[in-house]
Amino acid sequence: MKFIKGHISLIFPLIAILLGLEFFIVFDRTTDSFEKGLQEGYSMIVVSKDEMSIDDFKAWDSHIEQVKELEKSKILERLNMNKDKAEKNSFEASLPNFYSLKLDDYLTVDELESVKSNLQKSSNILSVETFHSAYQSKYELFSFIKFSFQTFIGFMTIIGFFLIVKQMEVWNFLHAQRMKVMEIFGASLFLRSKVLINMALIDAVISAILTSWLFYLFKNSWVRGSQMEILKDNIEGVFKFSDVFILLFAAITVVLIAVFLVVINVKEE
Amino acid sequence: MPNVITANNLTLGYENDEEIIKNATFSIKRGDFVFITGPSGSGKSTLLKSFYGNLAPRYGSLVVGGLDMVGINKKNLQELRTHLGIVFQDYKLINEWTVEKNVVLPLWISGYSTEVQETQAKRLLHHVKLTGKEHKYPLELSGGEQQRVGVARALSKNPFLILADEPTGNLDEYSSNVIWDLMENACHQLETTVVVVTHRIPMVFNIPYRHFTIDENGSIYEVH
Ligand SMILES: Nc1ncnc2c1ncn2[C@@H]1O[C@H](COP(=O)(O)OP(=O)(O)OP(=O)(O)O)[C@@H](O)[C@H]1O
Ligand SMILES: [Mg+2]
Repeated sequence: MKFIKGHISLIFPLIAILLGLEFFIVFDRTTDSFEKGLQEGYSMIVVSKDEMSIDDFKAWDSHIEQVKELEKSKILERLNMNKDKAEKNSFEASLPNFYSLKLDDYLTVDELESVKSNLQKSSNILSVETFHSAYQSKYELFSFIKFSFQTFIGFMTIIGFFLIVKQMEVWNFLHAQRMKVMEIFGASLFLRSKVLINMALIDAVISAILTSWLFYLFKNSWVRGSQMEILKDNIEGVFKFSDVFILLFAAITVVLIAVFLVVINVKEE
Repeated sequence: MPNVITANNLTLGYENDEEIIKNATFSIKRGDFVFITGPSGSGKSTLLKSFYGNLAPRYGSLVVGGLDMVGINKKNLQELRTHLGIVFQDYKLINEWTVEKNVVLPLWISGYSTEVQETQAKRLLHHVKLTGKEHKYPLELSGGEQQRVGVARALSKNPFLILADEPTGNLDEYSSNVIWDLMENACHQLETTVVVVTHRIPMVFNIPYRHFTIDENGSIYEVH
């Protein structure tokens, strides 16, 4: 009973930290394409008479980071015109140039308007369209959720560390006498801390396995049954087998640091 | 006989406190049996601590087992300690280990095989009259029995030097006699050097011994 109690009080905060870590990884993985999608939706379409290079655009506004030319043939395809090839070619030649612009940052509506008006100063540019209003609020919400989530994980990690250090103080108290006796009889630092290292490693392995198992369950029952498209679309990202090793590595690192802190704090009397 | 402990103008003190042992010069040879007496607080335990490197000399020199204790490094100190047998007044047994495991702690530290450990444990527990208690835990034993375990532990690796701080402090006569017999034998048969701090030298003692005493001022004299 005492044995279990001692272990639970280390395993519990360790699992809290590992869950935080894994959620962090999974969140990043599953929302990555979503976030990119939001970023891409946040673009400008420019129509120009003559061809323009990126530098031509940059000369008008420095926020412009990338320029992608939209192929005219694709635009024609979409229009689905019922014309023969020669007609199509001549029509294509008469079309202006279409560009999709990527900006270097997330600009406010006012800033976007200023980019737009800068571009319109060019006599070559026929029209500028921005697509932001729908994405802006969505992206801001997403950023807020991501920020809150990561802050929460950060706090969980700090509290977890705090609890582990507390438990280590208990261990320190429980093991100090034995380590002192061993030291008097000439045991090396490694030998003195062997028992602690073994206990800590066992707890690290248990915690990593439990956390992996929880995520495995999460992936295979909850996510599969849920209505959340973003998770279902990225279900392979929810838990990967290689995550077991990431968790194991993190757990072992945390406990070894903790053990080391305990051992160096045991002083001979 | 070669010197096991040599002190020259040895001065000891804790951190920035006043000096406790002052200018002690003496030598202890192989096979010597030395009693150290003196009033409470005179520095007997302090002197013993300096012998196993728990307190570094403030001034003067101290050589134990050929090692200079002034500025001794960790590795040498660990090595020295594996060849000492130390007995404490408060036993300092490991309570979560069995009697048997406690006895062979020095062998375990030096990496002896389990067979050697078991044989030694059996032999030593027989000597300290604790056969049959090998699987008990220290807190299940009486004070006298615990100290006999402590003495068995000190002897388990045939140390060249035994350091004992009031080993029979408040033990019954039977346990005290077992302990003195063992130390006499180790000294007499194996030429182990023994240094014992005590407030009372046993009435019956079968081998020749030396007697150092520390006065209230921290000076050490040999009583002849
Ligand atoms: N760890 C320590 N830190 C500071 N001072 C100490 C420490 N241990 C002992 N002293 C002081 O050193 C002096 C000598 O103590 P020591 O324990 O050596 O005496 P002793 O001769 O063994 O006494 P006793 O017969 O009561 O065991 C005492 O004044 C004590 O207060
Ligand atoms: Mg004392």
